[in-house]
Amino acid sequence: MSDTFRNRLMFAVALVLAAIYLFPLYWMYTTALKTGSAMFATPPKFLPSDPQWNIYADVWQSRNMGRYLWNSLVIAFGAVSLIAVLGVGCAYVLARYRNVWVEIGLFLILMLQVLPASLMVTPIFVGFSQFGLLDTPRFAVILAIAAKSMPFFVVLVRATFMSVPMELEEAALVDGNSRIGAFFNIVLPLARNGILVSAILIFMQAFGEFVYSKSMIQAVELQPASVGLNSFMGPNTNEWNNIMAYATIYVTPILAAFVLLQRRIVSGLTSGALK
Amino acid sequence: MTLQIELNGVNKYYGAFHALKDINLAIEEGTFVALVGPSGCGKSTLLRSLAGLEKISTGEMKIAGQRMNDVPPRKRDVAMVFQSYALYPHMTVEENLTYSLRIRGVKKAEARKAAEEVAATTGLSHLMKRYPRELSGGQRQRVAMSRAIIRHPKAFLFDEPLSNLDAALRVHMRKEIRALHDRLHATSVYVTHDQIEAMTMADHVVVMRDGVIEQQGRPLDLYDRPANRFVAGFIGSPAMNFIPAIVGEGGADAILDFGRTRARLSLAARLAPGLSVTVGIRPEHVRIVAAGEGAFDIPVGIVESTGSATYVTAATQPELTVVETGRGEVKGGDVIGLAIDPQQLHLFEVDTGKRIEGEGGRANLRFLPRAAPHPAAATFSPL
Repeated sequence: MSDTFRNRLMFAVALVLAAIYLFPLYWMYTTALKTGSAMFATPPKFLPSDPQWNIYADVWQSRNMGRYLWNSLVIAFGAVSLIAVLGVGCAYVLARYRNVWVEIGLFLILMLQVLPASLMVTPIFVGFSQFGLLDTPRFAVILAIAAKSMPFFVVLVRATFMSVPMELEEAALVDGNSRIGAFFNIVLPLARNGILVSAILIFMQAFGEFVYSKSMIQAVELQPASVGLNSFMGPNTNEWNNIMAYATIYVTPILAAFVLLQRRIVSGLTSGALK
Repeated sequence: MTLQIELNGVNKYYGAFHALKDINLAIEEGTFVALVGPSGCGKSTLLRSLAGLEKISTGEMKIAGQRMNDVPPRKRDVAMVFQSYALYPHMTVEENLTYSLRIRGVKKAEARKAAEEVAATTGLSHLMKRYPRELSGGQRQRVAMSRAIIRHPKAFLFDEPLSNLDAALRVHMRKEIRALHDRLHATSVYVTHDQIEAMTMADHVVVMRDGVIEQQGRPLDLYDRPANRFVAGFIGSPAMNFIPAIVGEGGADAILDFGRTRARLSLAARLAPGLSVTVGIRPEHVRIVAAGEGAFDIPVGIVESTGSATYVTAATQPELTVVETGRGEVKGGDVIGLAIDPQQLHLFEVDTGKRIEGEGGRANLRFLPRAAPHPAAATFSPL
């Protein structure tokens, strides 16, 4: 088997796998545009013959999507800000000090990452209701997401900080700066890319977060889009085109952002790995 | 002259590891000091302690008369040039140069003027708007130097600043740094593992090993009178030959042991008969003569020519290397005679490696006219 043939075969396999993986996304976009009868046609049509373009405006209006998306944004921005402020300092310390306690701390942080949200939600719910945090349910969700996603952020940003040579900081110290000054003047600007990329990933996670929001936010006017989508579906749902339109509106901005930033995200994630 | 840097009984521990052992050092203002030694000898630790990047465990450290033990780096007023240059990658050359001034609150116009003045002397004027990644190795090196110069610090600290440059540039920068020192007359401490850099640049060389100062002094004093075998082997290139010898029965001569041949030499001072000593011979202090005309004969092993000099390594145990200027006619397998000036020999104790002093400060040795032939010598010597 020649090299070119093998490369082509691998490429074909990759294409097939990508197609399978992305098919639901494609189905979401086409279903949203189909009419009621076209949706349930057998055999199914892969392209809508009579695309219903006004469905987006209808769904936006009828489901009050503006409010849902606003709540999603509030929660996502809140969580990212909290994580960024607390996580950057934490990651820096874990990057610069090496001893047994740091190792233990890092291990515990990674352990936190292992616990799934559906497991944590009950104790968190009980605890938050004791503290009266459920009176401000969006803030409660922000706190819960921050706790859940912080380890991921810390581990990523720690790698970024470790790629900033210690000597640069030492040069700044000898040049007359304090440790804090050196951190803000030298280390932070150089780690900026890694921090931004990690923050974007956290933002995407938080924007689509469902478990905590579903269980902690009872008031409809405070619920994020993920919960709104869920409440759209019932046991006898048949308005799949509306649901898919909702999902399209919800997902497309994130998807677009990811495609645009994809290169930077990948390079940001691997920047710590290579010199 | 006043003392600019003083170290009294300085020790540094990393946990159980004793990195600096009772270091005493006094550096006069305006001196260029080289700390030299193999890697892991503590020279960089010592330099970083001076900068304040490491805290010394015990002892006292003074810079310009002030006790500095607990003073943070930014208040020490020293400048450091790092091995990796440590230029700030997100700042232009100009911003790199003026960074220390801006921290100290110097006005922008003033800082820029200072940067331009320094850049003019180091040949960076046309590169001020570039970023470090757009510069060559030599240019980066100059930026690192300029960044130190601009502050007029109490002392310059260099941490192997030339080790990342290629050989030709290194030789060039060596001269530049020394010329700069002669112009600024600033106290400089220069860490290097390259004894040639230390010898050529420094007024005062400090040889370190395993956290201990083995010897310090003027470069040529170290070369002429190394205090022990380690310093003797470290200073000078190619390295000094060390040949084991045993003091003869009368205590007035020693037998050099080359494995397959031997040579006898007389000693100026009487030593205990049977005592083992090490004789040090610098390769450049041996002259190649015709077989039978020197102190002793030796078979030639490898001949390497650099064009300007010829390195002849004898096929003996231990090896003996001889440097001859110009192009020799010696070939591998020849037998040659070696003429050695007894005044240029060094004697060391075998156990401690310490130098054994003869009269007049030298191991006053003299080779007997004819070396006693070793039984096995006949296999290669046409005696």
